[in-house]
Amino acid sequence: MAPLLSAAPAAPVRERDAETEDRVRPDAPWDVLVWDDPVNLMSYVVFVFRRVFGFPEPVARKLMLEVHHQGRALVASEPREQAELYVQQLHGYGLHATMQRTS
Amino acid sequence: MSRSFRRHGQSIRMQLAAGEVALLRSMRDGLRAVLEDGAPDDPVIARLFPTAVSDDPEADTELRRLLRDELLTARLAALDDLHELFEQGQESRGGLRVDLDAEQAVLVLGVFNDLRLAIGARVGVEHIEREQLPTDEATTQRLAVMDHLGWLQEQLLAVLDPPSVQVHLDGDGQERR
Repeated sequence: MAPLLSAAPAAPVRERDAETEDRVRPDAPWDVLVWDDPVNLMSYVVFVFRRVFGFPEPVARKLMLEVHHQGRALVASEPREQAELYVQQLHGYGLHATMQRTS
Repeated sequence: MSRSFRRHGQSIRMQLAAGEVALLRSMRDGLRAVLEDGAPDDPVIARLFPTAVSDDPEADTELRRLLRDELLTARLAALDDLHELFEQGQESRGGLRVDLDAEQAVLVLGVFNDLRLAIGARVGVEHIEREQLPTDEATTQRLAVMDHLGWLQEQLLAVLDPPSVQVHLDGDGQERR
């Protein structure tokens, strides 16, 4: 099930320098947001949510509609490394996803 | 119009017209050139390698630098794989027929999406009111290609992932297609 436009989930974890905050609170969560865009098809966004996150179809569809109507949706809150992996996968599929520290 | 994608045993059969194949080859070459050039101020590059961290420019720069090589490698590999799939296809009904397994089908879906994103970025689709026809012919043509690729994607999604079809059967009526 390796996504073909993004790195496979099993890809080696990138090594990076932890920032100060991460050393203090290594598990502090990051929100992963997906932003609306005028090109990606609604059915494609549902497909990507199901494939990347394993969401059931109704959940994926609800989040897609939230992106469509609200302009963005929170799709995950995870420790930094996992959030980065999600952003990478979503970018690989062409969705505009960003992460930010959970407030 | 006959279907471009249909279930065929364990495979998904892609049947493209000769004109579609020529168009896809040409667009694939065009996207490859843009990716290899990688001009940071090119809107296509900006769209395919977008902001990654929304509230921290420094962290964004760092993460985008990390992601960029992997995403670029994956995108170029996908274009090569599409080329291979076309090479393996058989001439059929004046066009090309290729039987895809599930992973190859997702690859095709993703490349079509990258091509649509690239066209959208090139014409500045976010600034275009789709109800009004654009005045210049090049933009009109590019939008038509984008829509056609979207139609191919919809057909592929319908056989790749049947539940997603529901989005179009009971959606909110505000879809673009």
